[in-house]
Amino acid sequence: MATKPDTRFQSLDRKASAIVEFTLRQYRTKKSTWVVLGVGFTALALIFLIYIDVMASEFEAIDNDGDSTDYDNDGYPKGQELRLGTDPWDDESHPGLFDPPVEPDPASMYINEDGFDWDVTSELGTQSTGIDDDGDCLESNKTASQKDTNDNGVPCDVVVEFYRMQDGQIYSNIESDSGVDEDPDEDAYAKEAIHLAFVLSIGKLGFVLLLGIFLPLFMATGLIRDEMNSGTMHFMLAKPISRSEVFLYRTLGYLGVVWPYVIFLGILGALVSGFVGPSDGFFRFADLGVWLAIVFATMMATLVYGMLFNALGVLWKYGIILAIPFAAWELGMALLSMGVPDSTLLRFSVIGWALMIVDAAAMIVWPNLDLFILMGNWGGSDDFNYLQGSEPLNFFSSKPGLGLSAFTALIISTLVLLFQAALSWFIGGALFKSKEIQ
Amino acid sequence: MSELGEVPKPMPVEFAAEAPVTGKVRLDAAWGSTEGDEDLTAASTTVGKSDGQIFKQQYKQWNGELNPRWMRNWAILRHHLLGIFKKGHRPWGIPIRLYLLVVFVASLSDVGMTLVSGLIGDSGLHSVWGVSRDNLYAHVLGFFPRNMLYYPVVAALLVGGVISEDRQHGTSALYFSRPITRFDYVAMKFISVAMIQGILILVTLALYYFAEIATMGRGWAWIIDTFPLFLATVFSALLLIFTYTSIGLSLSSVSNGKFFPGIALLSIILGTKVLAFISSNLFDREILYLLSPYDCLAHVGQAIIGTQPTYDQYSWTWSLASLVAMNGIALYVLSTRVSSMEVTRE
Amino acid sequence: MIPDFDQQGKAETKEWAPEANAPAILLENVSKSYGRIFALSNITLALNGGVTGVLGMNGAGKSTLFNILMGKLKVSQGTVKLFGTDPWKNPAPYARIGFVPEHEKMYDWMTGHEFVSTFARLNGLTRDEAKIEADRVLEFVGLTDVVHKKIGQYSKGMRQRVKIAHALVNDPELIILDEPLQGCDPLARTTIMNVIRELGRMGRTVLVSSHILQEIERITEQIVILHQGRLLALGNLHSIRERLDKIPHRISIQTDSPKQLAKDLIDIDEVFGISFPDGQNLSIQTHNLGAIHSKLPGIIVENNHKVNAIDNPDDDLASILGYLTSGGRV
Repeated sequence: MATKPDTRFQSLDRKASAIVEFTLRQYRTKKSTWVVLGVGFTALALIFLIYIDVMASEFEAIDNDGDSTDYDNDGYPKGQELRLGTDPWDDESHPGLFDPPVEPDPASMYINEDGFDWDVTSELGTQSTGIDDDGDCLESNKTASQKDTNDNGVPCDVVVEFYRMQDGQIYSNIESDSGVDEDPDEDAYAKEAIHLAFVLSIGKLGFVLLLGIFLPLFMATGLIRDEMNSGTMHFMLAKPISRSEVFLYRTLGYLGVVWPYVIFLGILGALVSGFVGPSDGFFRFADLGVWLAIVFATMMATLVYGMLFNALGVLWKYGIILAIPFAAWELGMALLSMGVPDSTLLRFSVIGWALMIVDAAAMIVWPNLDLFILMGNWGGSDDFNYLQGSEPLNFFSSKPGLGLSAFTALIISTLVLLFQAALSWFIGGALFKSKEIQ
Repeated sequence: MSELGEVPKPMPVEFAAEAPVTGKVRLDAAWGSTEGDEDLTAASTTVGKSDGQIFKQQYKQWNGELNPRWMRNWAILRHHLLGIFKKGHRPWGIPIRLYLLVVFVASLSDVGMTLVSGLIGDSGLHSVWGVSRDNLYAHVLGFFPRNMLYYPVVAALLVGGVISEDRQHGTSALYFSRPITRFDYVAMKFISVAMIQGILILVTLALYYFAEIATMGRGWAWIIDTFPLFLATVFSALLLIFTYTSIGLSLSSVSNGKFFPGIALLSIILGTKVLAFISSNLFDREILYLLSPYDCLAHVGQAIIGTQPTYDQYSWTWSLASLVAMNGIALYVLSTRVSSMEVTRE
Repeated sequence: MIPDFDQQGKAETKEWAPEANAPAILLENVSKSYGRIFALSNITLALNGGVTGVLGMNGAGKSTLFNILMGKLKVSQGTVKLFGTDPWKNPAPYARIGFVPEHEKMYDWMTGHEFVSTFARLNGLTRDEAKIEADRVLEFVGLTDVVHKKIGQYSKGMRQRVKIAHALVNDPELIILDEPLQGCDPLARTTIMNVIRELGRMGRTVLVSSHILQEIERITEQIVILHQGRLLALGNLHSIRERLDKIPHRISIQTDSPKQLAKDLIDIDEVFGISFPDGQNLSIQTHNLGAIHSKLPGIIVENNHKVNAIDNPDDDLASILGYLTSGGRV
C-alpha cells in the first residue's frame, strides 16, 4: 500500500487533479458543450473564409493622380507627356512628333507608379521623407519653388508632422510636394490594411469578446450551481476539502476545456492569416506576436469571466439573470474601447483591460501602424481620399489607453485581470462557503 | 389485532360542476376534465379482513360543463402574464421583474425628452427627441442601447425557462394532464412572452407618439401625415417581438434548465451581429447580415419606415426572406419538440 | 469476504488532528430555524460507536440533522462537533467520515469504479491508491462484477450500494447514511442491511436514517427518534419502551377460550383493561409490563388455558413512534 499524503501540497494536488479531471469528463458528456464549441468554431471559420476570399481577390487599382488618362486623345497618357515636356491638353503636342518619335507608353505604367516609401517614426516633430519614384516631380521641368510646394526647403519630399495639442492628444499633418508619393498601390495597401484590421478585429471582437464572454456564459455559470441544483454537490462536499477549493478546481476544469480550445482557434487563425496574408515570404511570422497576445487576452478574459459567472451562479439560483445584463454591458464596453480607448468607464470592465493587451501587443509588433493608417487616410493627395482599408484599420486599432507605453500597458492590464480573477475567486469562494445547501 | 371494530360506511363523493367561475378559481375550473372518465361508475366491493379494510369505492362521472377552450387558454395566459405584477401566478423572479421595470423606464427616455422639450418649448431639443422617422425607427430598432442592452436581454430573460423549466421539473405534466392541447400550451406561452415584450416596446412607442401629440399640440393633419409611419413602426416592432420570441422559445424547447436558452438567444442575436459587423466593416461583404436576426429586422424596418438604409448590398426583401426562414425554422423546431415532448422529469 | 480495514492508514491532513476523547458526534442545544419554523429545536446528542438508527416521519428533521452534521447547513443556535471540530467551519473531519446522501441523482455517465475512485482522491489518495481502495470497497458492498458499467445502467439497489462504497472508501470511523434503503428491492435491502450491520460490528459509528421502522429494527436496537424537530427519545429500543410505563402496554394473547382467560386475568391488580378484538384473541392493557409477564405464565398454567401465542404488539418501532407522537393514545 502506497503511503498517504504527508504534505498539504501533495494532498491538494490529488484533490485538485481529481476535480479538474472530473470536470473535464463531465463536460465531455454534455451535449451543450459540443454545440457551443462547434458553433464558436463555425462562426470563426466563416469569418476566416471570407477573409481568404477577400485576400484572393484583386482590389481595383485607381489612378489617384489622373496621369494615365489621355486627355487630348493623342495616344499618349498625361504622365508621359508631362515627363517628356509636351502639353497633355493639346493633341497637337505629343512625343510622337519628336525625332525620332517616341512610342506611347501603356496607360498601366502610370497607375500605382508612385507608392509610399516613407521612413519616419511616430515621434513628435516634423520629419521629411518620401521618394518621387516616377520622377514627375524631380525630373519634371518645374521651377525650384514648384518642386517644394510644402516650403520646407527640400525639393520633392513629404513632410510628416506630429504635434501635441492643448488637450494632450497627438495630431498629425501631412504635406507633400506635388507629385511625390501621389499614386500609391491600392491593392497592396488595401490588402495589408485589411489584413492588419482583420487580425485586430477578429482578435478583439471574435476572440476576446465573443469567445471570451459567451464561452464562460455557457460553460462556467453552472459549474457549481448545476451540482447544487441536482443534489450531486453532496458527494463533493462530504470530503475533507474546503469549498473555495472546490470552486477553484471546478473553474480550473472549465479552463481545461476552454483554454486549449482558444489556443487551437488561435493557432488556426495565425496559420490562416499567416499564409493567406500579404507577405514577401511564404508566411507572415511577424504577426505571431499579435496572435499570441490575442490568445493570451482571450485566456485571461475567459479566466476572469469564468470565475465571475461561476460566482454569480453560486450567489443565486438564477445567476444567469445577473450574468446576462453584465455580458451586455461588457459588449457595450468592447464597442466603446474601439471608439474611445481612453474612457474611464473601461476601467470598470473586464473587456477593457483584455483588449488593452491586444492593443499593446499590436503597438509593439507593428510600431508603424499609426503611420500606416495615416498614409491610408492621406491617400496620396491632400484632399483626403481615404485608401480602402484604412478606415476599418483605424477603427479596430486603438491606443492602449491610460497614456502608457506598450510594455507597461501589457503588464498592468495583465495584473489587473489577474487581480479581477483572484477577487472573483475570493468572492465566489466566500459566497459558496456561506451558502447553505439543501 | 385490528382496532377497526366496524367498517365505516363509504361516503359517496359528488363532484358538482362549479358552473362558470370567475376570479381566482378560474384556472382550476378551467382545468376540470371529463376526458377519460366518460362512463365510469365502477364500484369495488369490500372484503372484510382482520388486518385491513378495502373501502367501497364509487366513482361518479363528472357531469359539469367544460369551460370553453378560450377560457382555459386564457387561464394559462393570465397565469404567465400576471406573474409579472403579483404573487400567486407564475413566479418570474424579482431580478427579472426589476430588469423589466428598468427597461420600461429606460424605453420611456424619448417620451420624457419629448415632454420636456414640449414643456420648455425648446425646438432644438425637440428636433433631436421629438417624433420623426428616424426617432420612430430608433425607438424600436436602434442598436445601442435598445437592441443591445434592452430588448434581446429581456427576451433572453423571459424565454429562459418558460418551456425548458417545465421539462426539467416535470411540471409540463400539470398542463398535459388537463384538457389542453400542446398547441394551446405553446401558443399561450408564446403569446404571454410576446405580450410582456409588447408592453415594453409597443406601449412605450404609443406613449411616445401620444406625448408628441399632447405636448406639441399636434392636429389632425399631422396625425394623418405621420400615422402610416407609426403603423410601420408598430409593424416592425411586432416583427421584432415575434422573431425574438420564436427563436427564444425554440431554444427553450430544445434545452433543459434556465441557463441555456437565455444565453443561446443572446449569443445568436449579438454574436451574429458582431460577425456581420466585422464582415461588412472590414471586408465590405454584407452577406453575413442575412444570418443576423437583428440586422434583418433593422433592414426590413428601414425599408418600411423609410429611413436611410445602412445595408445596401442586398435588397431588403432578402432580409425579409431571411426573417421568414429564421422564424420558420424556429417554429418548426418548437412544434416538433413540443409535440414529441415526453411528460417526464428529465 | 470482509477485508481488514485496519490495514489501511488514516487519511488525515497534518493541520487537523481529531481531539482526543471527543465523541464522533456531539450536538449541544442545536436548533435550526427557517424564519419562524424550527426544523430542529434544542437537540443535544452525543454518539460514539455502534449503529444508531435515526427515526422520524417525513419532515421530522432527519435530513436537516444530517445536513448540519455534513456542514451543509449552519445551525441557528448551539454547537456541533464532529471529532471535536465544527464541520461548518472546517471540513477536515470529513477525512474520517463517510456520507451517503439521500439524493437519487448521481453521475450516470461514470462507471461505478470511476465514481468511487474519483471521489476517493478527494480524500487525498493518489490515483493508484484510489483505484485499489475503490476495488476494495466495491467488493465489500458486493458490486465487483458490475464495477465497470455505467452508473446509469445500475438498478436502484446497486446505486445505493455504490453510494455506500463511495462513503466507505476512506475507511471512515463515522458513517452517515441518509435513507439508504429507500426504494430498494428486498434483496438489495438485505445486502445493504448486512453491510451496515457489518460496519457496526467492526466498531464504526454508523448513523442510519429511515422512516420505515421495521428496517431499522432489523439493523439496530439503538435509536434516536425525531419528531417535528424535537428529540423524542434516545437509546435502546426496548428500554425506551420500558420508560414509557405510564402509557398502557398491550399484551395480545391468542387462545381458544379468551372469555375464560379474561375472567382469570381480571383479578390481577396491574391489569386495568381487557378487550376482545375477535374470537381468538384477547388483549390486556397494563402499566406494568414486567409484573404481568411474571404472573401471566402462572395463571395460564394454573387454569389450564390453551394459549397459542403471546405477543407484545407495541414493542416495535411503529407503535413507539405512535405513542410518542400521539401523546400516548392507543
